[in-house]
Amino acid sequence: MAGSFSRGRRYVLLLLLLCGFGVVLFRLVTLQVLQAAELSVKADRQHQKTVSLEGARGTIVDRHGKILAMNVEVPSVFGVPNTLDSPLKLARQLSPILHVKTDELERKLRQDRSFVWLARKLDPEQGRRLDRLSLDGIGVVMEGRRFYPKGPLLAHVLGFSGMDGEGLEGVEHRYESYLRGEKRTMVLQLDALRRTVFPKGMTERSPTSGHSLTLTIDEVIQYIAERELEDAVSRAQAKSGTMIVLDPKTGAVLAMAVSPRFDPNTVSAFSPDRWRNRALTDAYEPGSTMKAMMAAAAIEERVVRPNTMVFGEHGHMTVANTVIHDHERLGWVSFAQVIQKSSNIGAAKTGMALGEQRLYRYLQAFGFGQRTEIDLPGEGAGLVRTPKDWGRRSVASISMGQEIGVTPLQMVSAVAAIANGGVLMKPYVVSEIRDTDGHILRQIPPQVRRRVISQETARSVTKILEGVITDGTGTKAAIRGFRVAGKTGTAQKFDPRTGTYSASRFVASFTGYVPADNPQLAMIVVIDEPRGDAWGGAVAAPVFSRVGEQVLSYLGVPSNGPVTVAMALRKS
Amino acid sequence: MKTVAVFVGLCLVFVFVWERVDVVRVGYQIERLKRDKTVLERQRDELRVKVSALSASDRIAKLATEKLGMSLPQQGQIIVVQSRPSTVRPSSDVVPVELKVAKNYLPSGRF
Repeated sequence: MAGSFSRGRRYVLLLLLLCGFGVVLFRLVTLQVLQAAELSVKADRQHQKTVSLEGARGTIVDRHGKILAMNVEVPSVFGVPNTLDSPLKLARQLSPILHVKTDELERKLRQDRSFVWLARKLDPEQGRRLDRLSLDGIGVVMEGRRFYPKGPLLAHVLGFSGMDGEGLEGVEHRYESYLRGEKRTMVLQLDALRRTVFPKGMTERSPTSGHSLTLTIDEVIQYIAERELEDAVSRAQAKSGTMIVLDPKTGAVLAMAVSPRFDPNTVSAFSPDRWRNRALTDAYEPGSTMKAMMAAAAIEERVVRPNTMVFGEHGHMTVANTVIHDHERLGWVSFAQVIQKSSNIGAAKTGMALGEQRLYRYLQAFGFGQRTEIDLPGEGAGLVRTPKDWGRRSVASISMGQEIGVTPLQMVSAVAAIANGGVLMKPYVVSEIRDTDGHILRQIPPQVRRRVISQETARSVTKILEGVITDGTGTKAAIRGFRVAGKTGTAQKFDPRTGTYSASRFVASFTGYVPADNPQLAMIVVIDEPRGDAWGGAVAAPVFSRVGEQVLSYLGVPSNGPVTVAMALRKS
Repeated sequence: MKTVAVFVGLCLVFVFVWERVDVVRVGYQIERLKRDKTVLERQRDELRVKVSALSASDRIAKLATEKLGMSLPQQGQIIVVQSRPSTVRPSSDVVPVELKVAKNYLPSGRF
């Protein structure tokens, strides 16, 4: 009896066990086979996190490696409104840290949403203060923010990048494909507390940063140019100003200053009009600076020689029923003096002797009416009409710098061509592109566009342009101890309301190079609408002189003028 | 023999489990080091930007003029002087030098 009971209990136990195993087996089959795909996805969602990462934007440095633009990871703050108990209290705590009004924060935190940005790209210190508070329902993510540590310096060349890190202006825009960091999605493994354990798969790597750019710009030269230009624009109460410093032998831009300036760190505080790089976007009538190119063309074509005598018509000459005036009543003068005294009549006569086809050919050869192809966005081509569209006075007008629109960059490139012996170089601002490890990926060499005039002609023109400084209209451009060559320009601005040239609005300019016998710097200064004494020789030439003197000293260029002194020191 | 086989089997299981645990431990360690690296890189970048801002010519010039009472040399005061190559070999205690001087720093005021 006892044995049968015991056997019965065993069967029951066995049955229960079998049932238990059956249930487990059924559940296993359900989970592992029938619901396998669906559950596997759910598990992955809990154990893995896919994040989208972007490498830091590349750094921009000057020719000596000084940082001009750089990315730093900074905190951005978000809220999770639908988990908050007291949005007002939270808003009051956050307001002094984020520098956002309490009302505005509260409004955002009361929204029926699971995510809302409260403030983006804050200063690192603000992030640290927020960390110390450790608030529920408030999160911090790190985002790359572009810093321009030199403030407004070189802003028009550097440009700036937008909130999402894309280059919007200047070098930032032009070299976007190099500067932008690599975008990459990564799968991270999470533990039970949703902490990251390790990237799934050992081969995962972080996204690489963007490439770095080395500019041809020298921060010190840029600073000198900007300071002197700002000073001149302010003293002349002018509308704006532009200055470019080039290495005439290579076309490398050493400085490009535009006034008024803006700070790319707070770009939205300035009107878009301030962002424009006037040095390459704005065309102006150059006035007498064009006579340097006209002289080069006339000498190259053997129309004149420096000592060819030209009659100055005592200051008045009628061309196509209009009268051309000179500011000085000249009689017979040499062609060199025509340029040195900036005679409109002499220039017009020489231009007419050159003829419209040859004049037009040289305008093109010097690069007017076409982009210089500098590696910056927004460059204008200026305005040079074809001879078939010229009027009866056009040859005379163009010879003295009217009826033609040029950009400051075109003008300084043309002058640099005379300076370097007759070769037009392509101006450029980026000299090297480096990867994140500092290896050079691409080196941008100087590029010759074409030979415009012979070396002999360039030497003759240089001698004439030296006379502009020693005996002509550009005496204020002189630099003690150096031979300077250059040309002044004072152009009346065209008034679209009256359809005539304004008697009160001018563009004063000076362009030239130094030292004249072995040029290291080619520069242009353009001052738009100066008040008072608006002559190029009075407003722009002194800026050339001051910048030239300081930059030559900074570069250690020995003087070639009368103050060269041989010295020897006794060892102490 | 059986005991040895069981022991070896247990050892293998132990090694397997230990390896798995260690992988997780090292994984956490790597993650911690990566976080540390990120924080340090961030600090380095912040400092580089700070150094660059502090060494800006604009700021240096302002400090020099406003705090140290320095002033920019006026026109004609900077003269870069270059030694001329001499045909006479200099004696051992005389060396040619290239000097950069501001004119107003010379005792006589002129060369």
